[in-house]
Amino acid sequence: MNDQRDDLAPDPAAALAIIEQQRRQAGLTRVSNAVLFAVWGLAWLVGYGALWLSGRHGEVSPASALVFGACVLVGLVATFWHVTRRMRGIVGSGPRTGAMFAGAWVVGYAAQGMTIGGLARAGASDDVVQLVANASGALVVGLLFLAGGMMWRSPGMYGLGAWMCLVAGAAALVGLPGSYLVMALAGGGGMLVASGLEAVLRRGADRA
Amino acid sequence: MIHAQARLRVVATLAPFAPGDSISFPRLQKLLDMTAGNLSTHLRKLEDAGYVGVTKTHEGRVPATYVALTPAGRRAFEAYTEQLRALLG
Repeated sequence: MNDQRDDLAPDPAAALAIIEQQRRQAGLTRVSNAVLFAVWGLAWLVGYGALWLSGRHGEVSPASALVFGACVLVGLVATFWHVTRRMRGIVGSGPRTGAMFAGAWVVGYAAQGMTIGGLARAGASDDVVQLVANASGALVVGLLFLAGGMMWRSPGMYGLGAWMCLVAGAAALVGLPGSYLVMALAGGGGMLVASGLEAVLRRGADRA
Repeated sequence: MIHAQARLRVVATLAPFAPGDSISFPRLQKLLDMTAGNLSTHLRKLEDAGYVGVTKTHEGRVPATYVALTPAGRRAFEAYTEQLRALLG
């Protein structure tokens, strides 16, 4: 059944409006940096915030470590849900590149875990292990965002990547317990700011 | 050809995809909020005009249809958009 109206030509202004509206619709098939930065910004703010609150006065409590773990888990679930929902039914080099990017995160964090394990085994103190864990965690994020920013020509992601590399350095330099605060506020907060900037400035021009 | 409202909506939805990427029929249908029959008709006309490529494939035993603009379709859309912008100054 073909509606008669389907064949009418819209006037130029209406046509441009339709084109813009459909461009935004097509944006629903791309992963949103604004969403992912917000998810992880919040996860870092709450997770590292909990570690700082308990680690301020001495040893980090098991409860705060659980909160941190829960934040990471929620972040992973939310990321997976968002990406699969947006990319459903899309095939081509876009999804393939995205899959390689996801793989890079797995490899990066696996390497981070092995590095920390190696340092602990070599006799590094708990404090040193914690500092390296924080710094290397932020460094993995920073380098991968620099790479992603280059790949998708996203100044926002690239800038956030550079920032997270600095956060990594700062998190090590300030020592414990300030390191957790740096991760929470500069790391988590930095991602939240980047999310806001992406949402406001990019407005539907998500990564291709 | 593109200017007919419904076909413009279809082409305008496919245009933002990078060359080489394609979208499944059901996903496209959802983005356009059209009935399957309606979308099929428009896609056939666009395909006949050489603006859209429709690929039928199988995922396991389930048939799947993927849609993308052809280079000719992309060029036609860009020319049309330029025309519109020129008209509006």
